[in-house]
Amino acid sequence: MPRDVIMPALGMAQDTGVLVAWLKQPGDPVAEGDALFEVETDKATMEVEAQAAGFLTDVSAEAGADVPVGQVIARISETAEGSGTAPAKGKGKADNAPAGTGAEDAPASDTPALPEGREVIMPALGMAQDTGLLVAWAKAPGDAVGADDLLFEVETDKSTMEVTAGHDGYVAALLAEAGEDVPVGQPVAIISADKPEAPVSRSAKAAPAKAAPAPASDTESAKAPAPQPAASGKADTSRQVEGPRPPVEAGGRILASPKLRRLALEQGLDLQRLVAAGYPQPFHVRDLDTLKALPADAPAAGAAAGVPAAQARRLTAHVAAPGFEAFARWAADEAGLGDADALLAGLAAASLRDAGDDAALIVGIERFGAERHYTDPDRPTLGRAGAEDPDGAPALRLRDLRGSLLGTVEMGAEDAPVLTLIAEGDALRLTLECAADQLGAPRAASLLAAFAGRMAQPLRHLL
Amino acid sequence: MREITLSKAVNEAIAEEMRRDETVFLLGEDVAEAGTPFKVLSGLVEEFGTGRIIDTPISEPGFMGMAVGAAMTGSRPIVDLMFGDFIFLIMDQLCNQAAKTHYMSGGKLSVPLVLRTNMGATRRSAAQHSQSLHALVAHIPGLKVAMPSSAYEAKGLMKTAIRDNNPVVIFEDKLMYQDKAPVPEEEYLIPFGVANVKREGSDITLIGTSSMVQVAEKAAEILAKEGISAEVIDPRTIVPLDEAALIESVRKTSRAIVIDEGHQSYGVTGEIASRLNEKAFYHLDAPVLRMGAMDVPVPFSPALEDLTVPTPEGVAAAARKLCAGEMIHAA
Amino acid sequence: MAAKAAKPKTNSEDYLRMYRQMVRIRAFEDNANQLYLSAKMPGLTHMYSGQEAVAVGICEALTASDKITSTHRGHGHCVAKGAEFREMFCELLGKEEGYCRGKGGSMHIADQSNGNLGANAIVGGSMGIATGAALTAKLQKTGDVTVCFFGDGATAQGLWYEVMNMAALMQLPVIYACENNGYSEYTKTAEIAAGSLPARAEAFGIESFTVDGQDVLAVNDLTQKLVARARKGEGPFFIELMTYRYHGHHVGDINREYYRAKDEEAQWKTERDPIVNFGKWLESEGLASSDELKSVQDEVHADAEAAVKYALEAKYPDGSEVDMHVYAA
Repeated sequence: MPRDVIMPALGMAQDTGVLVAWLKQPGDPVAEGDALFEVETDKATMEVEAQAAGFLTDVSAEAGADVPVGQVIARISETAEGSGTAPAKGKGKADNAPAGTGAEDAPASDTPALPEGREVIMPALGMAQDTGLLVAWAKAPGDAVGADDLLFEVETDKSTMEVTAGHDGYVAALLAEAGEDVPVGQPVAIISADKPEAPVSRSAKAAPAKAAPAPASDTESAKAPAPQPAASGKADTSRQVEGPRPPVEAGGRILASPKLRRLALEQGLDLQRLVAAGYPQPFHVRDLDTLKALPADAPAAGAAAGVPAAQARRLTAHVAAPGFEAFARWAADEAGLGDADALLAGLAAASLRDAGDDAALIVGIERFGAERHYTDPDRPTLGRAGAEDPDGAPALRLRDLRGSLLGTVEMGAEDAPVLTLIAEGDALRLTLECAADQLGAPRAASLLAAFAGRMAQPLRHLL
Repeated sequence: MREITLSKAVNEAIAEEMRRDETVFLLGEDVAEAGTPFKVLSGLVEEFGTGRIIDTPISEPGFMGMAVGAAMTGSRPIVDLMFGDFIFLIMDQLCNQAAKTHYMSGGKLSVPLVLRTNMGATRRSAAQHSQSLHALVAHIPGLKVAMPSSAYEAKGLMKTAIRDNNPVVIFEDKLMYQDKAPVPEEEYLIPFGVANVKREGSDITLIGTSSMVQVAEKAAEILAKEGISAEVIDPRTIVPLDEAALIESVRKTSRAIVIDEGHQSYGVTGEIASRLNEKAFYHLDAPVLRMGAMDVPVPFSPALEDLTVPTPEGVAAAARKLCAGEMIHAA
Repeated sequence: MAAKAAKPKTNSEDYLRMYRQMVRIRAFEDNANQLYLSAKMPGLTHMYSGQEAVAVGICEALTASDKITSTHRGHGHCVAKGAEFREMFCELLGKEEGYCRGKGGSMHIADQSNGNLGANAIVGGSMGIATGAALTAKLQKTGDVTVCFFGDGATAQGLWYEVMNMAALMQLPVIYACENNGYSEYTKTAEIAAGSLPARAEAFGIESFTVDGQDVLAVNDLTQKLVARARKGEGPFFIELMTYRYHGHHVGDINREYYRAKDEEAQWKTERDPIVNFGKWLESEGLASSDELKSVQDEVHADAEAAVKYALEAKYPDGSEVDMHVYAA
């Protein structure tokens, strides 16, 4: 396991260090503690010692180079030949820089049993977010991962996001379990370059308590795994619907004068509609007439006012072992319920109705551009409802893409909430997309969770 | 109506009050025969004698302190402080003594004195003779602060100040001494704490103090040609402040700019803007803007000095942006 | 103007009154000291004990309408100028019935009814006020004289020189009474004052005097003469009164040997106490018996204790008074 040699940050406000001279040559054996190179900072010239024993290899910075702190400038390998994968050259941003000092320089007591590699941290995705709920791991310890591979899903106060690995390599350690709330900035995984001999998997609670993330790991989070903004921060309508928490993210604020806000409130007008109609912010009282003149939208079920497509929620769920196909076969053979879509619509309707909706429900099943509607497909008995005229307005649309080659969908909100089904090998990926005011955040989450559960174990529905 | 200079208006006010009340006297540097460097007091010593128009040595803390003692014992002194900048010299007497005596004595003693001094830049006098330091004084409870914006205002406010039973500081703009305005022959007083709506308007309120009232009025003229209707208000006294009138105007116009010649930071503009934010927030359609003097010592060179104070064009430009809904500062 | 003159203090009644006033000051301070040390009194206070002959000798030469300005060490001036124990203790304790309704406290007691324009917590802060009060007297021909009390420490303030200059130019009826107790806060006066203090006043053409501040008769005698002259327009005057403060700069200034020796304090207290010595003189002159003096002391102590008790039980001002008296009507 090669050890990276890093340009250390030695000064208070030091961005780079000048590599004055190497004190070892490539291929030289080094002992831990050997003076390895000289570095000049704004304060002084210092000798930097080797952190491990081995052979100096993969030297990527020459004497005289001004190297950003934190950048890998060589490796100490088990053989004089080195890894053959030289660290990035150049003096620019440490694109391929290793994980910050967190992994390499952490004192032994910090994470004694952890394999070496690049840390993947729980990212801070919201404004006032302290922790993220690790919903599920998409990789298992020891799996090979690509930098852009989905590594895990995280749920914040806003939405569920997918986080990619950020590095090529192997999952050397998973440092949190699904369902755990992990402080942002805390490492949740380690990606190693080599296939780990003994990959680690443990709870986040086992992690040593860490104070605020060190600047070094900030670098990491900054460049890391850009999370796919699923339910984007643009949504600001939750305060108008049943969202439990007011929005805090400035990006979602409508810029409007206090007077206009007061007048709009008094007159029951929604400034969001000006946003949706594309009028430039900030809004002032003179925009009031424009707002009043906007045509009233025909909102979808449950919506109080017109909602732009942009104000969308997107949630995904992963059903590792769906039991629906087997259930549908069983239902056809044993109960004579031959329309699998009626069953599908029934499970969806039941999932939506779980939230306490007693009105008549139309669920649309859309496949290859054709849509069929089922009214109350969950009542009185699952799967008895017949397909109907597609002209009615569905409360929920199931878009079945299991037969397609599509991998992910992000379509934005439509006239009704859309649940997309995508096959991932034997597994099933479910994506729920809707306008923020079509479904409140809790209701959207409960719908998707309930439907995913039914797709995994449909029989439980019957129980 | 006859028109007289601000200088003459102040002179008349003091003379009238000295005739009316024998306990009124005036002291300061070169106030008698010299009549001050601005000649504001010329002629008073001839009428009232050196016993009541008292020349002092150049001892600002000394004569300020004496005025406090005289005021506590039945006199109504008017202190002439040649330049507003010298207020720093008399801070203990003004702020620790005069301002607090009534309160500290549980209302038993009072200090009915007038400190008349001046303010205003662009007279090429550099940083120690050009400051507008009224905010310093307005910060201290127990002092009243009047800021006349014309000859008419100067006379009415001075007479009220002399009759007030508290220490009152009057800041006259030294560039306005020769400015004429209609001033009635008959006696009048201008009460403290009553703002003057100089010009009515509906789109934006321009609140100006002292010479900035004229800046605001000129800005309003410019804006009127563009179809923007600006209301101009002169608070007249910043302590007490006619908050209600300012709020009422802003509730009507939804926008306001506060213009004052004191340094912008921690100053009168900030205080008034803050009160409007607190008390008229839901009527604001734009942020309340402050336009004070630049936060630099007043420079000597005309090329630099003229940059430091608000101008009608600058006020009009800012008003234009506010009315257009443009963001002047990043949101 | 002659009517203004205080009666000459020549008879035994006047002497006994001076004795009683000095005892009252001492009793007031002893009680104030106890109140402070027992944490019943908020804030900070400065004891006048030891300097009684100065306040009494001077104030007994003044009429009620003559003015004084006082200092942070001002309880003695206040008592000597005619104040009552009850209102003074109430003020010290921040009570509603205090002279300033609890808004001034120890360092700001003012008693306008007796011509006390107030104590001042800025060292030298009242020199302008005293001079201005004299200016009113001159302009309005009231015949009043103002005595400006200040300590040796205040002679280092520039304001004094400005107002002495003007008082001399205007011939104002003001007497600058410098109580030289040997210490400017925690520093020997010799370390803060160059040359001679009377010489500083004399430089302005002001007649200056130095008197034993522990001798109430000497102080009173000199003051009577100067007050009479000041009323005639012969002022201003300067008096340096050599005296001694028994306590530290303030009540909590207990460990003060670094600037003042205990032997020195003991010597002043045993040999130069203004009350003890004046009492001996009264007895030796046959003006009062020791029993009479004892009964004066007992009466005063009883008065003081009653006033303390009253003040401790008195009401604090209502919260609504907090913004009252910021401005006069």
